[in-house]
Order: sequence, then C-alpha cells, then structure tokens
Amino acid sequence: MKRLLWKNSLRYLFRHPLLIGLSVLGVALGVAVVVAIDLANTSAREAFSLSAETVTGKATHQVIGAGEGLDERVYRDVRVGLGVRDTAPVVEGFARAPAYPGRTFQVLGIDPLADAPFRSYTGGVGSDLDLSLFIAQPQTGLMARPTADALGLALGDTLALTVGGVKQSLTLIGLLDPGDDRSAQAMDNLLVVDVATAQDLFDMPGRLSRIDVLIPDDAQGTALMARLEAAVPEGAEIVRSAARTRTVEQMTRAFNLNLTALSLLALVVGMFLIYNTMTFSVVQRRTLVGRLRALGVTRREVFVLILGEALLIGIVGTAVGLLLGIVLGQGLVQLVTQTINDLYYVLRVRTLDLSPWTLAKGAALGLGATLLATLPPAREATNAPAGAVLRRSQEESRVRDRVPKMALSGVALGVVAGALLLLPGRSITVSYGALLCVLLAFALLTPAAVVVFARVLRPVMGRIFGILGRMAARGVVTTLSRTAVAVAALMIAIAATVGVGVMVDSFRETVQVWLGYSLQADVYVQPPSLVFRRNDASLDPAVVERLTTAPGVAGVYSVQTIRVTSSEGRTDLVAIDQGPNTRRTFRFKKGDPDEVWAGFQGRDMVIVSEPYSYRYGVAVGDTITLQTNQGSRPFAVRAVFYDYGSDLGVVMMGRETYDRYYDDPGVAGLALYAAPGQDVGALVEALRARVGDAQEVIIRSNRALREASLDVFDRTFTVTIVLRLLAVLVAFVGVLSALMALQLERARELAVLRVNGLTPRQLWRYVTMQTGLMGLMAGLFSLPLGLALASVLIYVINKRSFGWTLQVDVSPEILAQAVVLALLAAMLAGLYPSWKMARSNPALALREE
Amino acid sequence: MTLHKHPGLGDPLVRVRALTKTYREGERERAVLRGVDFTIREGELVVLLGRSGSGKSTLLNLISGIDLPTGGDVFFEETNLTRLSEQERTLFRREYIGFVFQSFNLIPTLTVAENILLPLELNGRMSPEEQEQALSFLDDVDLRDRADSFPDRLSGGEQQRVAIARALAHDPLLILADEPTGNLDFKTGRQVMNLLQRLIHEARRTMLIATHDRDILDLADRVLTLQDGTLETHTPDEVATSF
Repeated sequence: MKRLLWKNSLRYLFRHPLLIGLSVLGVALGVAVVVAIDLANTSAREAFSLSAETVTGKATHQVIGAGEGLDERVYRDVRVGLGVRDTAPVVEGFARAPAYPGRTFQVLGIDPLADAPFRSYTGGVGSDLDLSLFIAQPQTGLMARPTADALGLALGDTLALTVGGVKQSLTLIGLLDPGDDRSAQAMDNLLVVDVATAQDLFDMPGRLSRIDVLIPDDAQGTALMARLEAAVPEGAEIVRSAARTRTVEQMTRAFNLNLTALSLLALVVGMFLIYNTMTFSVVQRRTLVGRLRALGVTRREVFVLILGEALLIGIVGTAVGLLLGIVLGQGLVQLVTQTINDLYYVLRVRTLDLSPWTLAKGAALGLGATLLATLPPAREATNAPAGAVLRRSQEESRVRDRVPKMALSGVALGVVAGALLLLPGRSITVSYGALLCVLLAFALLTPAAVVVFARVLRPVMGRIFGILGRMAARGVVTTLSRTAVAVAALMIAIAATVGVGVMVDSFRETVQVWLGYSLQADVYVQPPSLVFRRNDASLDPAVVERLTTAPGVAGVYSVQTIRVTSSEGRTDLVAIDQGPNTRRTFRFKKGDPDEVWAGFQGRDMVIVSEPYSYRYGVAVGDTITLQTNQGSRPFAVRAVFYDYGSDLGVVMMGRETYDRYYDDPGVAGLALYAAPGQDVGALVEALRARVGDAQEVIIRSNRALREASLDVFDRTFTVTIVLRLLAVLVAFVGVLSALMALQLERARELAVLRVNGLTPRQLWRYVTMQTGLMGLMAGLFSLPLGLALASVLIYVINKRSFGWTLQVDVSPEILAQAVVLALLAAMLAGLYPSWKMARSNPALALREE
Repeated sequence: MTLHKHPGLGDPLVRVRALTKTYREGERERAVLRGVDFTIREGELVVLLGRSGSGKSTLLNLISGIDLPTGGDVFFEETNLTRLSEQERTLFRREYIGFVFQSFNLIPTLTVAENILLPLELNGRMSPEEQEQALSFLDDVDLRDRADSFPDRLSGGEQQRVAIARALAHDPLLILADEPTGNLDFKTGRQVMNLLQRLIHEARRTMLIATHDRDILDLADRVLTLQDGTLETHTPDEVATSF
C-alpha cells in the first residue's frame, strides 16, 4: 500500500480528534462490557471448579443418600464389610463467620486416616499437628495458613461460627500449607474438621453427606462397582463425582448465557456506532475519495485504506476496552457472585481470573466488529464510479431512490426474524439471532420512516419556527445518506435500553403479583440461609415447638426443602403442610385444583413448578421417580404451578406423603397465621422474644418478607441494570458523535447561512432544532423497536432460558425516558458545532476545502 | 496496455469515435454528446470551448476513463479505453493522464510536496532521481519554498500552480485541464495559463483544456467547440473572428 495514502489517512484521523475519540470510546465501551461479563463469569466458574476440585479431590465416585444425608453405617459396611479400602467418609456444609462479615467457610469433615488417597492437602498439614487432638477433641479444625494470616488468626485461637442460625465455635489446631498460589486460592475458604466435629456442627448425628470412592476405570473397577451397587441400601446411589460437579455448574448456564448475550447486545450497539462513525468519515471524504480515484487510486486501494483506518480505531478502542473491561470486571464479578449466592449456591470469588482466552476473545470481537461495521461504508465508497464520487447530490438522490427497496428488505428481514422465533426448539442462540434480525429490520426501515416523519413535521415546524423550522426538517431528508444512519444508530442504542428495561420491569411486576398471592400467612420464620432462594438449614425442633404454641398464633404450616435425586437429575423437593389457605397460594398453569388439593396429602402425587416442567419436559399425567429412603418411587405429576422462586424448578409434595417416604422430621420454615384481632407487628416481636437465644432465626411479617424478596430480585438484576446503564452510556456517546459529525460536516452550509445574515443565536437554534428533530425521531422510533425487543426477551428468550411465563408491564416512565434521553443527547450534540460555527469566521469555512 | 511513452510529434495520440453520452433525468433522457469524433495529436494544445453545461467536463471524464460513454470509442494509440475494466481504466489513468481541475482538488491532508509525489508513488516510481525530477516542477511553478505547506495555507493561484506541477510530475502522455482558471481572478488566471503553456511546450506534452474563457484561445493550436452535443473543429483565428 502506498505510503502517502496512509499518511493522508492518518492525518485525516488526527485532524478530527473529537470524532475519532468518540468512535474509539464506542469500540472501547462495547469491548469493555463483553470482556467484563466474560471475566466475571469465567472467574465465578473457575472459583467454583477450584472449590469443587478441592473438596472432591481424586474421588471418582460418590455414594449419596436419598435426601440430604446417608447413614454412617453404610460407610462401615462398605469399608469393613465389603473390604473396599479406597473409601472415605465426608460431611460437608457451610458456616458463617460473624466476626468477618461476608465470609462463609466451606466446612469439610473428613476421617484423616482414610482421606490421604483422596485429598493431597490433608498431607500438607504442618508437623505440629496432633492428629489425636484433631480426631478426639471436638470442635477443632484446620485452615490454610494464608487465610489464617489474612484473618489475624493463630494456632489455638477460637473461631466463632454460625451454622443455620446456631452458634458454634472451632479451635484452630493446625494450619495447612498450600504448595502454590492455585492451591492457596482453592483452600482460601476451607475449614477442615474431623467427621465427628462436622456432624456436630451440622446437626447430623450418625449421618454423612457422602462417601468418596476410588473406582478404577477397568474390569476390576466394573466388578467393584457391581459389588458396591449391591451393597448400598435402598435410596442411596453411586454417582460419578464429575457428573455431580457438572450438575451444579449447569445450574448457572442459562444465567451466564443471558449475561453474555446482553453484553453482546452492548457490542452490537457499539458496532452501529462504529458503522455510523466510519460512514461519516467516508461520506465526509466523498470528494477526497473522488479526487484520489481521478488521480488513479484503485477501488481496492481505497477499500484497504478505509479498512486500515478502521483497524487503527479498532486496535486503540479494543486496547482501551480490554483495560476498561478488567476494571469493570472487578465490580461485576462481585455482582455475579452475589447473584449466584442468592439464587444457586455458595461461592466466594477471591480474584478476577484474567483468562487470556477471554482477553483474546474480547480483542477478536473488538477488531472483528470494527472491521465488519466498516465493510458497508468501505464498499459504498469504493463501488461508486469515480465520476459519481465527485458529485454528492447524485449520491443523495441514489440513496433516496433506494429507500423503498431498503424498507422492503427490512420487512423481509422482519419476516425472517419471525420465522426464527417461531422455529420449534429451545436454542437461545437462535433466539438472539432473531433478535439481531429484528434490529437490522428496523434499521432498514429507518430511512423510509425518516422521510415520512420529516414530510409530516415540515409544515408543523414551519408554523412554529418559521423558515428555520422548515429548513431544519427539510435538511434531514436532503442529507438522508447521513441522517438515516445516525437516526438508526441512535434508535438501536436507545431501543436496547427500552427492551431490557421493559423486560426487567415486567419480570418484577410478575414476581410482585406472585408474591402477593403466594404469601398469605401473617408471619414467616426460617433459619438464616446461605442461599436466599433455598432453605438449606433446619429449625431446631424446640424452636418449632415454642413458635407453634405461642399465644396469638392461630395456625402453623411447615415447609421442608431437601435436594433429592429424581429421574430428571438432582432437584429441590419441597414438602408442605396443607391448610385452608394453601389453595389460594398456588396458581396452576395446568391441572385441576379440586383434584390436586383433595388428594395432595398422603397420596403418591406431586406438583411441579413451571420451570421444572419446562426444563425437563414433564407434564400433567407424567410420572417422575424420586429417590426416597425406601428406594426409587414413582410419583404422579398432577399439576404445573406458577413459581418464580427458582429457575431450576421444584417438585412439591404434601408433608404427609413426605413423612411416609423420608426419615426426616426437619422443618426448614414456618408460616404462621395470627389469631383474629392480633397485631402482626406485636406478634413478630413476641415470637422473637419467645425464641430467644435458642437459635438465630429470621421472623418476618408478610410485608417484610415480600420486601426482602423484592430486594433480592433487584439485587439479582443489578448486573442487568448495570448492563442497561452501560448501553445507555454507549447510546449517549453514539448520539453525541453521530450528530456532532453531521453538523461539523455541514460547516460550509452553516457558513453560507451566517454570511447571509443568520445570527449566532439563530444558527444555534437552527442546529439544535435539526439535531433535536433527529433525536426525537430516534427516540420515537426506538419505542416500537424497544417493545419488540422486550417481547422477544420476555416471550422467547426468557421462556427458552428459564421457562417462566411473564406478564408484560410497560411503564410509561421507561418510554418517556427513552425519548427524553434521545432528545437531550441530540440537543447536547448540537451545542458544540453551533458554538464552534458561531465563533468561527464564516469566510474561513467557505474557503476550506 | 502499454503505450509508447513518447510517440512521434504530430502522431495521433487520442482518437475519439462516434462518442455519445446520455443521462436519465426522471422519465426523460438527455443527450449530452451526440456522436462526437475528433483526434488529438502528440504535442498539441487543444482548447475545448463551450458554455457551462455543454458537456465539456463529461467529455473529459470519458477521455480519461473516469466515466463510460453510452456509445462510441476512445482510443489511445490502439487501446480502446471503453473496452477496459474499471480497474484497468484506473491503472491507465494514473500512468498516462495528468489532471488539472477547476477547484484544484489537492489532497488537503498532504503537503504540497507530497501532493506532487502522490502520482509517482501510485505508479511505484519513487526512486530518488524520479522524486527529485518531480519536485523540480516546484521550481518551475515557483513554489519550492512552500513544499512543506498544506494546501489550505495557499492562495487559489498557488493551489492551482501546485495542481499543474502534480499533473506533470509523473510525465503523463496527456494532460486534461477542466476550467483551470475558473476559480481564479483574471490576472492570476492569465499567469497560470502562461505557466501551463510554457511547461507543456517545454516538456513537449499534449493537453486538452476545457474552458469557456475565450482569452485562452491565443494559446491553442486548435479549438474544438461543443454545442448541443456536437463538436466542430476550428483554428484559433476562426473562432476569434466568427464567435
């Protein structure tokens, strides 16, 4: 490529620092959002794998019970009776350390004599450990030395813990020395205790969480597996360790995928901005390109030149974007971790995992998106014959001639999007593909809409603002090749914020309605739970007794939640008492309430939540198999109910049925009805006093629980809202750069107006009127597109990701916000060019090439 | 597609045969050129005279291969420009044709010297000798001291002098000038034309000047007049007396 041509390009870029700066910012923001989300997701996944690896160790298989535990006699039978030596008992759970807010430890109860083949770090205990003390003395434990140092703990110190609201303590009798940084990360959150200590901590006397087994992958292993399967009792089963870890990981798959998709939406918006900027840079230099072509520069050379410029913008923007992404990722990883902790499982992410793969992907996306967005303007510039390039008016009339064809293409693309959305199947990727088609369809319809809108508004603006008003409206159409691109870019950026906003609002409204009818009792009681959405701790029976018999309580209904293995995999099983109000707290999507509630208690039947039904394709009339303490048992599915508490789905059965199949008297929560005339606030206070120090429990009024649930909802959507705000920011930058470029390009026209007597104030009015008009168009056009996006997100993507039915709730504020945002940004964008033109000498602008 | 770089003086260089060009204007077709025939010989300075909108620029665009005719042929020696692809026409133009435009059309982001070197670089002829020879035209147009200035720092006359130097820099066979004095005052226009004529004669180049400025006629070897899409050939004296 010719040196002077590159020089020409570089000088052009450096002569327009503001516009180029804004396009670099557009690329940078798009890349930053994608990289930040990917880094946050990857870090959370990496932290989970590390922690899973740490506690699973080298175990190939695990023996697990029907419900939350397994009788420890099974271990003795397997190890001693069956003679399988490569086995180790494990009791595990989570404990909070109140002295260190936000710190939750993973507690691993092991038998040090049996554990060596499974977890290497147990061999890394310092020589000062007295093993007999570890085994024999209750409430003792080990932690990693770096963690102890960070918390200011030393050997012999006591660490206060709470497990399911019950206060516990642990004396540090040894420190583990991780060999490397990865091990240090893996063990950062780990407390290792003896099995017996763990059983005390988690109130699991005589029970284990699981038995770890090493089964070789050969004929001997197959034989061993067969012997084990014969030996384990009814209800227990042998699962592959990796499969179990994978199941947990898959919980967050849809959540991660949607975050990634939303971040890509920001990149798409960014791409439109790049497209917009590059189109302007090409259009602005139409004459220059014509000169070069006349001098003998080939089309290919012009094409390469424009792509080269874009590449430069892409490289700088991507580099800035990667750095910004890392900074943003630090914040987002906390939000993502918080959501995982609220909804799925306990997770602590110590550091942002700067995966080179993520950074490489971000770089490729940034550069690829920039080049892709530049292709159309580059082709446009190079395909026009040299003679035509010199005549701008011809170009404008060519664009206007193409408006009907573009509109038709938009309609055709809309039909393609509709067909993609109607395709049977659950592919989220196809859904996002359709979403992209919708965006492009609207972009193609924009020029036609601009022409119609300007034609309608011209007389109106003329009546209000006189000749300047008419000129402003007409100017939008006469420079359609630029204005349509700018309006389309703004429309897409703003529509993305409308779509996500309406989706979140609709979701919130649906959850609010659901909470309204599903929370009917006056007071709710539960132990503090590590994962908000799952009751993973039990109420002390003494506490249950005190609450049940409290004065002022007219009715008590219990709920218990456990994880069981079903024919569809591990799932949450919820057992509920049935009272006179139970029927009102459920709304069925499918199933006959009369039939269900008449036989719910005692019969072998269950009802499943909507996400469960969708996730596993289970319908009314089907049968699912659940592992119970009496072995695998079939249960008829009688109804599918609306539930927005878990995207993983739950199976629900009557408490009487549960008691018949599970040896578990546990209660995870209570719903209390106040006696007639009883003040609920006073009752809550009285109940708190009655429980006293027996167990830390959360006693909340109906209203307080509703508020807490909505708080968690809002928290889980914080990431989405942050993404939306970032999209707004990208949109704002887009409006600014597009309109500013447009007005600066018209410097000569504005100079002519100034020469003809337009005062600086009038010039300001004229420019802001035109940019305002374009902002108004973009804002108004973004409403139908935003609503279309919201509909796709709600009816297709959300449905395919989580299986939820949501009610669409369009708040007028979001719509008004979109139009105001577009208008405001547009007016702001007009400020600089009109200020610049008002101050500059019109003669200079007229003389400028 | 190689032409003799210096054919014999007086040999035909460009042959235009039955050239037509029509434009669509809405539903109607407007003929700008209606079967134009003429020849330009090596070393000639031909003036193309016509009113604004008579089709002078169109004819120049067709001769240079910027645009394609509706019918007819444009031969450079044996090469028919209308049969070449877009790419071939571009490569042809950058090697054999030099341009001087009414609005100068300098590249604003390149300095004066770089503007002059651009055609050379496009042709891959950037040896120090060739560069120096191209830049020597700056002495001829008396702008050596402005070599590092950008075009927007130059007056209109100076810009057009740079454009002339650029048109000659790569030693083209034919120089096409489209209203070269159209944007200049009388005195500057005269200076520019004298310069152009001197350089063309000194370098023994061929030139076709499109203009409506009759004061240029005394510099011409031959005059072509374009009216209503048809072309007539005259001597300068004939034009001076009959029009």
